[in-house]
Amino acid sequence: MTKGVPMTPERPTTTPAHPGVRILRVGERLTLPWRPRTVVVVVVLLVLMGILAVLTLAWGPMGTSPHDLAAALRGEADATTTFVLERLRGPRILTAIGAGIALGLAGALFQSVTRNPLGSPDVIGLGAGAGAGVAVSTLWWPGVFPAPVGAVIGAGVAVGIVWWSTGMGFGSPARVIITGIGVFAMATAVTHYVVAVALRDSAHDLAAYLVGSLGTRNMQHVAIIGVGLVVLIPLVVMLSRRLLVMDLGDDVAETLGAGARTTRTQAIILAVLLAAAAVSVAGPVAFVALTAPHIARKLSRAPGPNLTLAAVTGALILVSADLLAQQAPGLAGLPVGIVTAAAGGVYLGYLLVLEWRR
Amino acid sequence: MVGAAVVVLALMTVASLSLGSRETDIARMLATLTGDEDPFMQQVLAARVPRTVVGATVGAALAVAGMLIQSVMRNPLGEPGLLGVTMGASASVVTATAFFGVSSGLATVPAAIPGAVLAVTAVLLLGRQSGSTSVIPLVLAGAVVSAVLGAYVQAMILTRPEVFDSYRHWMVGSLAGVRFETLWTVLPALILGAVLAWAMTGSLNAVALGEEVATGLGVRVQWVRLAALTAATLLAAAATAAVGPIAFVGLAVPHLVRAAVGTDHRWQLPMAVLLGAALLLGADVAARIIARPQELMVGVVTAFVGAPFLLAAVRRGRVRG
Repeated sequence: MTKGVPMTPERPTTTPAHPGVRILRVGERLTLPWRPRTVVVVVVLLVLMGILAVLTLAWGPMGTSPHDLAAALRGEADATTTFVLERLRGPRILTAIGAGIALGLAGALFQSVTRNPLGSPDVIGLGAGAGAGVAVSTLWWPGVFPAPVGAVIGAGVAVGIVWWSTGMGFGSPARVIITGIGVFAMATAVTHYVVAVALRDSAHDLAAYLVGSLGTRNMQHVAIIGVGLVVLIPLVVMLSRRLLVMDLGDDVAETLGAGARTTRTQAIILAVLLAAAAVSVAGPVAFVALTAPHIARKLSRAPGPNLTLAAVTGALILVSADLLAQQAPGLAGLPVGIVTAAAGGVYLGYLLVLEWRR
Repeated sequence: MVGAAVVVLALMTVASLSLGSRETDIARMLATLTGDEDPFMQQVLAARVPRTVVGATVGAALAVAGMLIQSVMRNPLGEPGLLGVTMGASASVVTATAFFGVSSGLATVPAAIPGAVLAVTAVLLLGRQSGSTSVIPLVLAGAVVSAVLGAYVQAMILTRPEVFDSYRHWMVGSLAGVRFETLWTVLPALILGAVLAWAMTGSLNAVALGEEVATGLGVRVQWVRLAALTAATLLAAAATAAVGPIAFVGLAVPHLVRAAVGTDHRWQLPMAVLLGAALLLGADVAARIIARPQELMVGVVTAFVGAPFLLAAVRRGRVRG
């Protein structure tokens, strides 16, 4: 406790554990802690994302102007606009938002339970594993099980290998990072193998399986990620209070009744499912899950996993990267994963040089 | 031990000459080699002899590069690929093809070297940490540089049709269709790297005893490190230029070498040459057989053979956090 906060008995029992936290009570049972700063940041990011989404829909020769968009929302648009919105650009932007939310949440969960800013699905090869699972399930054994199931299996195997290889679970950041590189390489090799055998030489398809792409999405993709989020987000919310306690250390968490081991296992399972859902609709898009929680924490300056903000940041990153991939000169037509890999890599390099060098 | 390694390499050579995505008879192959006129086998051998020679050379170069990096950094995770050498070389060649009109083929090979050197320098600068022996910043810096360069390479390949054909070649290494001419163009870099590596073996033995001891023995530690890293970069860049990025040979082979001949670098070097060549030939044979009647890229196989070495090294606690 700092000197400026006297611990007097007169203070109300809802004394915030951290400065700046308010408690919102809904009825008898539900209490939600919130911070004004976080709420402001979330609102700003949502507005920004709205602008980018409208821009994504409006830009280019097939674009839908904001005026037409409003008409379409009222159900009064002409056939061309409806077609573009329902078949071409609408599914794409919705998939981007959904996958971004899922990746941001997965990253925040992982970084929270590993207490490691690098312990994200990208670094431990989870995304690549899910990508390999998608490649196997769609190209090798088509029809045996659907792509999302393949993604979950691939992601689970990748996490399992990392967990086993470190010899100490996810406790040591150094070991997690290095085994992650190995698992990433093996998963990529599987994808190369499957695509080489199944597709021969269509490099564009290979790129989509390897780096993640949002091209030619349809409403089925939106449905997959939508259902995934609807099912998983409530579970994440239920877990979020215990995650906040986990930040104080395993011993404190146990004392407060949040079983550290159980919480960690549940959070990792949720993260695997979220990342797999994202990968099955967008491919293994790199570095969104790594950077989103990181940026979220900087913006909110709050401890803990910052789940809401990480989700919104993830969506914003993916939407803006996809806007670049669609419209930026020189990038147009590239898979979105190339944009996020380059930008995320540069961001990671910046962190490496300026923040983590001690 | 060296004798055993020679036998293994000889076996792998015979396998590489006789096994392929189409089955061929070993007896016919040997008869053709000794002068028998069999047009089909002659054609097959015309493809497989260069493939075998180049494969052995590349494997040896990568293994020696890995051995040098591991002893200079005193870390079992040193690997040309982890330090960004291979992606640097790939990016460099793709740039030369896309912007400077260097058509694919022989002229691209020298173009790989500056990219590899730049990438290693960037990784070493990014991952530099004063007073720390941890390898994590370096590995992380290597991953960052490789990720950015990989994105660049993919972007160039997908937007430029003239580079598009060589897509696989610059993402995953392959020995398919490789010719002797490729080897001649990288030979100067290979010889320079090999000579430098050989000249450094004695000094590396001294450095392995510790910096103070080495200085006491009259060895200039910083110069030895620089020379060894230069040799490793030259060897790995030449190998990548010839056949594309091949992962984990440089990581796995030095582990085997140390298990076989111990810590003396004068024995490690020839052993790394033999085992590196044998491993890559074995991986290439596997790449031809696994997916019959098609062929895999050998880089896919080495990732699968080599990455478990990385995982095992971590699990056995050889990695200092």
